[in-house]
Amino acid sequence: MSRLWRASPLTYLALVVAAGLSIFPIWWMFVVASRTNDAMGQLPPPITPGGNLGANISRLFDNTDAYFLTGLINSTVVATTVTVSVVFFSSLAGFAFAKLRFRGRNALLLVIIATMMVPTQLGVIPLYMLMSKLQWNDRLPAVIVPVLVTGFGVFMMRQYAGQAISDELIEAARMDGCGTARVWWHVVVPALRPAAAVLGLLTFMTTWNDFLWPYAVLNDPANPTVQLSLRALSDGYYQDMSQVFTGTAIATLPLLLVFVLFGRQIIGGIMEGAVKA
Amino acid sequence: MTVQLDPRPPAVPATGPHRRSTGRLSRLDTRYSPYLYIAPFFLLFAVFGVYPLAYTFWVSLHDWDLLGSDHPFVGMENYTRLLADVDFWHALVNTLGIFVISTVPQLLAALWLANLLNRGLRARTGWRMAVLVPNVTSTAAVAIVFGVLFGREFGMINWMLDLVGIDAIEWKSNRFASWVAISAMVDWRWTGYNALILLAAMQAIPRDLYEAAAIDGASRARQFWSVTVPMLKPTILFCTIIATIGGLQLFTEPRMFNSGTNPIRGGPLRESQTLTMYMFENAFAPHYNFGYGSAVAWLLFALIAVVAAVNVLVLRRLGGSRPGARKGTTR
Amino acid sequence: MAVFPRRRLAAVAVAAATALLVTAGCGGGDDAEGDGPVTLTVDVFGQFGYEELYQEYMAANPGVKIVERGTGTNLDEYSPKLTQWLAAGRGAGDVVAIEEGLLVEYKANPNNFVNLLDHGAADLKGNFLEWKWNAGLTADGKQLIGLGTDVGGIAMCYRKDLFEKAGLPTARDEVSKLWPTWQDYIATGERFVAAKTGASFLDAATNTFNTILLQTAGNTTGYSYYDTSGNLVVDSNPAVRQAWDTTMDIVDSGLSGKYGSWSEEWVSAFKQSKFATIACPAWMTGVIESNAGAGAQGKWDIAQVPGNGGNWGGSHLAVPKQSKHQAEAIELAKFLTSAKGQIGAFKAKGPLPSSPQALDDPAISGATNAYFSGAPVGTIFGAGAKSLKPVYMGPKNQAVRTEVENAVRTVELGQRNPGQGWTDAVTNAKKAAAK
Repeated sequence: MSRLWRASPLTYLALVVAAGLSIFPIWWMFVVASRTNDAMGQLPPPITPGGNLGANISRLFDNTDAYFLTGLINSTVVATTVTVSVVFFSSLAGFAFAKLRFRGRNALLLVIIATMMVPTQLGVIPLYMLMSKLQWNDRLPAVIVPVLVTGFGVFMMRQYAGQAISDELIEAARMDGCGTARVWWHVVVPALRPAAAVLGLLTFMTTWNDFLWPYAVLNDPANPTVQLSLRALSDGYYQDMSQVFTGTAIATLPLLLVFVLFGRQIIGGIMEGAVKA
Repeated sequence: MTVQLDPRPPAVPATGPHRRSTGRLSRLDTRYSPYLYIAPFFLLFAVFGVYPLAYTFWVSLHDWDLLGSDHPFVGMENYTRLLADVDFWHALVNTLGIFVISTVPQLLAALWLANLLNRGLRARTGWRMAVLVPNVTSTAAVAIVFGVLFGREFGMINWMLDLVGIDAIEWKSNRFASWVAISAMVDWRWTGYNALILLAAMQAIPRDLYEAAAIDGASRARQFWSVTVPMLKPTILFCTIIATIGGLQLFTEPRMFNSGTNPIRGGPLRESQTLTMYMFENAFAPHYNFGYGSAVAWLLFALIAVVAAVNVLVLRRLGGSRPGARKGTTR
Repeated sequence: MAVFPRRRLAAVAVAAATALLVTAGCGGGDDAEGDGPVTLTVDVFGQFGYEELYQEYMAANPGVKIVERGTGTNLDEYSPKLTQWLAAGRGAGDVVAIEEGLLVEYKANPNNFVNLLDHGAADLKGNFLEWKWNAGLTADGKQLIGLGTDVGGIAMCYRKDLFEKAGLPTARDEVSKLWPTWQDYIATGERFVAAKTGASFLDAATNTFNTILLQTAGNTTGYSYYDTSGNLVVDSNPAVRQAWDTTMDIVDSGLSGKYGSWSEEWVSAFKQSKFATIACPAWMTGVIESNAGAGAQGKWDIAQVPGNGGNWGGSHLAVPKQSKHQAEAIELAKFLTSAKGQIGAFKAKGPLPSSPQALDDPAISGATNAYFSGAPVGTIFGAGAKSLKPVYMGPKNQAVRTEVENAVRTVELGQRNPGQGWTDAVTNAKKAAAK
């Protein structure tokens, strides 16, 4: 399709500026991470990488106070578990809402949409009490269980299933004697794969980044998520900025990696009407 | 769209008589299995979403201290105290201030960026990825980086301002400046994201509208304001609602932006303390007053509901039917 | 017919449940019991300097494994966590450090802690300075919450190279003579500023304020924000007002670099040699060394603090009742707070012993610190330690202190004039105390 407007050199210039602003803070994170701690507070600030990244990384992992490795492992466990679970349950529920007829379907769907508007993080106080009662505070289930399935995920899968799966297909499968679970497995799951990938990526990133709730409930400094070990690194009595920035760089790296590998799909997912996670 | 199907042809008509034995099972399946599929969400949301919010209200009616063994019912006292609490109003103004100065430029910039991206570009995906990359970074990590960039004496921003002869700005202890710095962080993260949503909506605008406008002699700029923007209104409002819900709960950015003693206060005069931070300060360290913190949470909840409702009303009046970008128009 | 997918569902559910059970085991502090080696968790903040002592203790007690948590954490982060663990009934370490300013707060719920007097601690009384021992006792004297670790004798750390640049004397004795009083300190600062070295005279007014306050209170009233009956006296205790006024003089004279204490900017200022002096409780030497880095070795030195002595900081070690290994934890706490343990900590990170035997030990009295140009830290910090007069700190001391220091900070930053600042300090302190 021919474009309405052509891109002028000016367009490219503006885009270069925008892209530069987008990328610079990330770039600078790696710059400081690759220099010695003496770069801290230096003026003019350095903007090219130094040769100290390897040393900083090993100092960071040797720093027994930060529990950075534990944080990385914990975040991986949490984000992976949540992602798998959200995708699984959302695709089931999304399929039900999009393709199955049942009493109260529309009302329940409205409820789900409404829940996306509910600022659940405002419930942190009772949630904290609940976790204390369950003896889950300081432990990973506290940050995993509450988000095992999200309204956003259900809604996204429902929207996608609605347009990606034709009713005839489902009808055909039923004719073949499939129950709903088999229809889901043989027809819906294959069709939802692209949306599931996007939902999975978005969920992984959101969970990886989560801060407020882990901050409230995970108090054990020896058992943090990676965001919490970053906070510990940057709030201590003394700070080693090159270590802090190495930490921020490593905490960001998995997300960047996912983005570089699946950027096209993520962009497609967002543009196809996904709402903000 | 790749839809894979069990390739076997339907061998037998489903209504064949020999299927009767499984017919009842099948009816049970169609009738009740949907509830099974949606149940996990509702169960989980009931336990970890509805219950905490409702219980927050219950707690807010008590003098409830983490360390205290009993928590007497005090009715609305927490709320009356809160309404007379200058720090609460201060945090409210901060929250709204940061919200406004982050959302407005963000949406304008996103609109402009979408307009740029909506042209015949080389390396289209590359540009889109470049503007979206801030959205996939770790919030806490970026807040630490921005906290350093916005340092008073050693920060890069002030250093650059100094190069052009502008005096150092107290980014952390000047109220408005701290709002700007935190908004910059929020904008940095969300502008590209919103640009892509707006871009999707832009691409769904029928071309003949522009052609008609062009025949009427409208310039490109005029076409943008008289065709593009009106057609995007539902999407813009949608973005606004989402920004509202997130923006009014802002926590990680201002919390990590402030370093040193008592970062939860958001500066010596609470320059950048948001309502969520204020809730946290009261409910957890250093005060552990769950009752009072819960009252903050509920008022914030009410505020979000009101602002969201206003958005929805505006949306209705403008006749936007379906929010969000349209589908199948991304390429 | 739906068997297969349902089984998958069940499998996923089981897998998820297993994952949760496995991850649930990650919680610290309450590890598996049984006959195997006992793991003791020690919760600290900042630098206690215990690493080598742990090694020694573990070597002597093969059945014990020691894990320290919270090293480097600042007090504002550490203490709330401890509070939450105690309230939740689980999560705290087997041995926990309690800072002097928070001791009264924790003593309000003595049931959270083991009474060390029931475990033979009474015999140890002579191992501690009397006031340090007493601070660990509940009001009725019947329960001992904690055994003393360190005290915070105060000195003034300074940069020799910057002093030289400003034409000031650099030898520690001569520097000490520059400032018998805080007014003399200000006068010296004015000379320093006039020399335009590009650095400020001191880091920030807040830490200096606290130093002056604790010194003044120690020498006069014996209490700071709360009187000994627990009434908030922020606006009526002359010691508070006097410290405030002196600090305002320092701010007025433009001596402060305004680097908010403990912030990332403060650390940068250390790195970039942006200030010449910093009020220096004994434990601060470790902080300076970590922040300023190896590059500044030998550029720092330590002189007497203006005014007369004083104490800032110092902690106790307590054993929470929720510990599953109380007996072992008590033994460890006794070891770490023994004269030997205190000497070991001092050598590692500089916290000044609260044990008179340790203070008299040549290992302390003869100690020098190479980082601080070989300054005789043992005598500088230790000399006044035995004559220290304790300052009583009330129930919400930390919250009140936060408010008053914030007010200092607003004046320092020019957001408030001293009059408004004082009003803020008093109003906000009262509000915080009532919360």
